[in-house]
Amino acid sequence: MSSTLELPTFDELEVHEVLVSSAVLKAAAHHYGSQCDRPNKEFALCRWEEKDPRKCLQEGKEVNRCALNFLRNVKLHCAEPFTQYWTCIDYTNLLELRKCRKQQAAFDDCVLEKLGWVRPDLGQLSKVTKVKTERPKPENPYHSKPRPKPNPSFDGELKPSKYGSRSFFWPW
Amino acid sequence: MAAGKVKQDMAPPGGYGPIDYKRHLPRRGPSGYTLFALGVGSMVYGYYTLFKWNRERRRLQIEELEARIAVFPLLLAEHDRRTLRLLRENLEEEAIIMKDVPGWKVGETVYHTDRWVTPSIAELYYLRPKAEQENAMHGFQWYV
Amino acid sequence: MDSLTIVPPALLIISILMAVAFLTALERKIMGHMQLRKGPNIVGPLGLLQPFADGLKLITKELTLPLLATPTLFILAPTAALMLALAMWSPLPMPSPLADLNLGLLLLLAMSSLMVYSFLWSGWSSNSKYALMGAMRAVAQTISYEVTLAIIVLSIVLLSGGFSLHTLTVTQEPLYLALATWPSMMMWYTSTLAETNRAPFDLTEGESELVSGFNVEYSASPFALFFLAEYANIMLMNTLTTTLFLSPSTPTFLPALFTIALMSKALLLTMSFLWVRASYPRFRYDQLMHLLWKNFLPMTLTLCLWHSSVPMSMFGLPPMT
Repeated sequence: MSSTLELPTFDELEVHEVLVSSAVLKAAAHHYGSQCDRPNKEFALCRWEEKDPRKCLQEGKEVNRCALNFLRNVKLHCAEPFTQYWTCIDYTNLLELRKCRKQQAAFDDCVLEKLGWVRPDLGQLSKVTKVKTERPKPENPYHSKPRPKPNPSFDGELKPSKYGSRSFFWPW
Repeated sequence: MAAGKVKQDMAPPGGYGPIDYKRHLPRRGPSGYTLFALGVGSMVYGYYTLFKWNRERRRLQIEELEARIAVFPLLLAEHDRRTLRLLRENLEEEAIIMKDVPGWKVGETVYHTDRWVTPSIAELYYLRPKAEQENAMHGFQWYV
Repeated sequence: MDSLTIVPPALLIISILMAVAFLTALERKIMGHMQLRKGPNIVGPLGLLQPFADGLKLITKELTLPLLATPTLFILAPTAALMLALAMWSPLPMPSPLADLNLGLLLLLAMSSLMVYSFLWSGWSSNSKYALMGAMRAVAQTISYEVTLAIIVLSIVLLSGGFSLHTLTVTQEPLYLALATWPSMMMWYTSTLAETNRAPFDLTEGESELVSGFNVEYSASPFALFFLAEYANIMLMNTLTTTLFLSPSTPTFLPALFTIALMSKALLLTMSFLWVRASYPRFRYDQLMHLLWKNFLPMTLTLCLWHSSVPMSMFGLPPMT
């Protein structure tokens, strides 16, 4: 009765991973969020609709590719201010962004100048957005069974119970 | 020694004046009204500063959360791939371990469903060293 | 994980015990000078080694176990007291805590409630009616004053937006919280006096008048444990007061000086503990209870309501994650 687990092969999972630490990711997060908006949203939508990581591998790879591209661009053009920035962020335990506004401004300026990326405003990344996609909407992502047939209607006569309520002491 | 006028030692006519027995404490420091005003003033100033800072802190929190939102798909994709890779490794290992058992279906799920079931950490790491499983379970707690 | 993990707790414990030792010396010195005496001045320079002499004396004395006492509990109670008093230091941010808990304040409250059990056990296991009654007094007083402590903590949490002690540090970056909540702070400080059984609320001690409370039967090293626990608790409570109300990070944002700022404020508060002890007569027991249940409790409840409604109406709610 139970089915076997279907898994993608290693080749399908083969991806050049993004090998950076959390401070780097957090330092780059806002610009990354605005630059790789499309693949990110595409992937997130896929995961949300399919409820299955096996079906979103292609989108996931796209996310990874975009992130790598982004970081390579940063490294190529703004390596110095970026390193300054994430080292500063790495200094506190909670990776607080507010402690590093000076370095952030330098990084933002460099990125704007060399690459033309604008830092997204507060609230822009958390906005609810509509995503246009070619992927068809999955039917029944939860694999739920069809609804059971409704009970047949009862034709006989309905009488009150013969010996009173079964809950004698709490007769409501 | 005639019995002259003897001066009897007595209270002066009309009695002594009132004795000043009341405590006289110097009135020191600012008056009560001043203290009250100072107290209320410090509270008002304190709340004003605190609330201003709290609003700023909420903005900062939104910024932090947005950083997380931005990075989340990347982390999720990576996590998915890692999970699937582990599952695939387990599957191949299972095939090697159970090859002598007749009637064993490799990769048979224990769940009566076709849908994706997020594997537990124990399920992912049961063929790996204990340290790795513990790291996956509690590793993040050793930071800080 | 490995053997090196023992190092940070050990360092913390050693420094706490050193601080406690010198706190007792400081107390005797200050009390002496306030009463126009000299205080200890024989052992070591200015009597600085007096606490170590006392400690040595207590440890080398014979451990006497009362004939009727319950031995296990009799020994366990002081041990538990000291262990709890030391463990309570772990979530305090100085500036990095030993255990970074996001419910650190709750842990502190829970642990300080557990301290009550060590009093109760010690009094009961001594099997002496004086000890038992002393324990009852101590327990009634301590748990009563914990009520206000908990409510005040709750209202402070409403203003800072989290039970973690680090959040409090962040909240107080622009200004001391004491400025906005000084009524709470006054009640808090008085309650910590009562919570740690200090004068003028030292009904549990009451050396000459009340036969020394729950620890009459204790001598030698178990007594030393109780003594250490009590003073460690005083230091802890004052450090907590500093964290809650007096902005541990001000006046410096240099992480290296954080600990110094925090502990100097805590030390000032501790000194005023001693000052209070030298100045005020002991409360009567009914007055003590009256002060809490009829004055502090209504006021703290009102302030708790106030602190939950004012930020909401002024749009000054902290980020609650």
